[in-house]
Amino acid sequence: MSIIELNHLNKTFDYYTKTPGIKGSLKNLFHRETLKKEAVKDVSFAVEEGEILGLLGPNGAGKTTTLKMLSGILFPTSGHAVVNGYIPWERKNEFKRTFSIVMGQKNQLWWDLPASDSFYLNKCIYEIPDADYRRCIDELSGLLDVRDLMDVQVRRLSLGERMKMEIMAALIHRPRIIFLDEPTIGLDIVSQRKIREFLKYYNEQTKTTIILTSHYMRDVEELCRRCVIINQGSVVYNGELADINRLFGNKKLLSIKMSRPAAREDLERYGRLREYAPNAATLEIEHDKIADYSHKLIEQFAVVDFTVTDIPLEEGIEIFYRKEQQVSLVTP
Amino acid sequence: MKRLKYYLKLLLLFIRFSLMAQMEYRLNFVSSLLVEIGYLLVKLSYVAVIYSTGVTIGGMTPDQIVIFIGSYILMTGLYMFFIPSFYAISGNVREGRLDMLIVKPLSLQFIMTLQRFDFGMPIPNVTGGLILICMCWSRAGLTVSFTHIAGFILFTLTGVFLTYCMFLIPKLLSFWFVSTSGISQMTDALWDFNNMPMNLYSNWIQKLGTFIIPIFVITNFPGLCAMDRLTPGYAAWGLAVPFLAFALQRAVFKRAVRHYTSASS
Repeated sequence: MSIIELNHLNKTFDYYTKTPGIKGSLKNLFHRETLKKEAVKDVSFAVEEGEILGLLGPNGAGKTTTLKMLSGILFPTSGHAVVNGYIPWERKNEFKRTFSIVMGQKNQLWWDLPASDSFYLNKCIYEIPDADYRRCIDELSGLLDVRDLMDVQVRRLSLGERMKMEIMAALIHRPRIIFLDEPTIGLDIVSQRKIREFLKYYNEQTKTTIILTSHYMRDVEELCRRCVIINQGSVVYNGELADINRLFGNKKLLSIKMSRPAAREDLERYGRLREYAPNAATLEIEHDKIADYSHKLIEQFAVVDFTVTDIPLEEGIEIFYRKEQQVSLVTP
Repeated sequence: MKRLKYYLKLLLLFIRFSLMAQMEYRLNFVSSLLVEIGYLLVKLSYVAVIYSTGVTIGGMTPDQIVIFIGSYILMTGLYMFFIPSFYAISGNVREGRLDMLIVKPLSLQFIMTLQRFDFGMPIPNVTGGLILICMCWSRAGLTVSFTHIAGFILFTLTGVFLTYCMFLIPKLLSFWFVSTSGISQMTDALWDFNNMPMNLYSNWIQKLGTFIIPIFVITNFPGLCAMDRLTPGYAAWGLAVPFLAFALQRAVFKRAVRHYTSASS
């Protein structure tokens, strides 16, 4: 049973352009030609309860607009969506109690006060009993390692610390669904990892459904089994993350280091040469030929080290991001 | 009743948080207090002129006129109390900050318009206004009775409610036009029509300011009530118009939020 379902969702924004300079501004003062931007076009997908779904796409693809419609912030131009049994844009209070949205570039905490005050405000807004609230704060602050920072004004916290606090504020009412829009944007690798670990643990423990958008592939790889890729407002891929590199066929990367230089032409006989230096090379090789070719490469060249890896996920996703590319891996 | 208690608790929390947040910036808090004391002294210079010239307006003595000036100063302070949320509306719409308010399970209008309060500016005005009113009450020959004081307080409270409704409407235009500082300045200028008794103006301006844009209801009616100069018809209008204004601003608000387009992240 899907907890989130989108059917043919569309969102069109009005906008107008302005030619540069004062002449353009004067012209705009008297006449503006309204143009339409289809931010989301016929988007349909479903999310199962307890799942973490990656919602991917280049900048301006329509990911955030989709999340905003699912959380009731925006009205769609047409189409239908049901989130936990509610139509989001009806903005019913009972619905709002069931989800949370965290946006990496927007905050809900009071800037000049300690985060603990904002948590208390959310406790009052969501009418959480005292004991549940205390237990929740204790648990979350421990997991996110921010116990010592609860009484520090939000404006004095680092970006990473602030994002942890934002996540805490979003979870105080124990939502069944969390929309995370680039929660790790701008964070250092340690903070990114900490937040990833927390989200993974929290999802496993509470079976909370999560839709995550992120430009960091580590976030997606470590948290999501399935993803939906949106480009120019339309869904271009909906399926398992592991299947994205099917685009490249069943290939792997074989990297070797050699004690003696090898000729480029000799290496190219084994597969497409992706990287080359006289004493090192990376080859793209069919999966079923890896064992055989490894053996032959070791015999023919003075190989001192070799590794076999998957083609990076970014490369597959990049193909979906390119506008001109028509990819036909969308599953119904 | 339970819902009313819920919103009252949140309102008190917002007031407390606003005070706490402002106390973080001591210099700013003190300087806004001093600036407003300066403005108050300018307003009090009108009072000095009235006493020195002994002017009368519509048969009102200088002491009675000062009651109106006191009401105007008091009401200005009360309006300034909730003005930060009003002035934040345009920025919240333009920069998409309403996103985080829309998703909260409570009235959007409540959290949007009653979340931030100012203390530095209202303190001198409320204090100064109250002192003027109290000083001139008996000097103006007004009866010190429960009915008169209760009437004054009632029309002051309905005046605050009317101010909230009337002055919110122009700010809501941000949802359509994004930046509305020009309109805000224009409507805020209307406020200063109140710094003298409405009898100062011609009959048609009095009617316009009472029935069409009911700006005079805000600060004139408490004083008129205390002076037994408020006819039953005007009193009924004074009590009804805040509710009419509330219905109007609710209708505008509901249409406005449908226009919210957020902002790109």
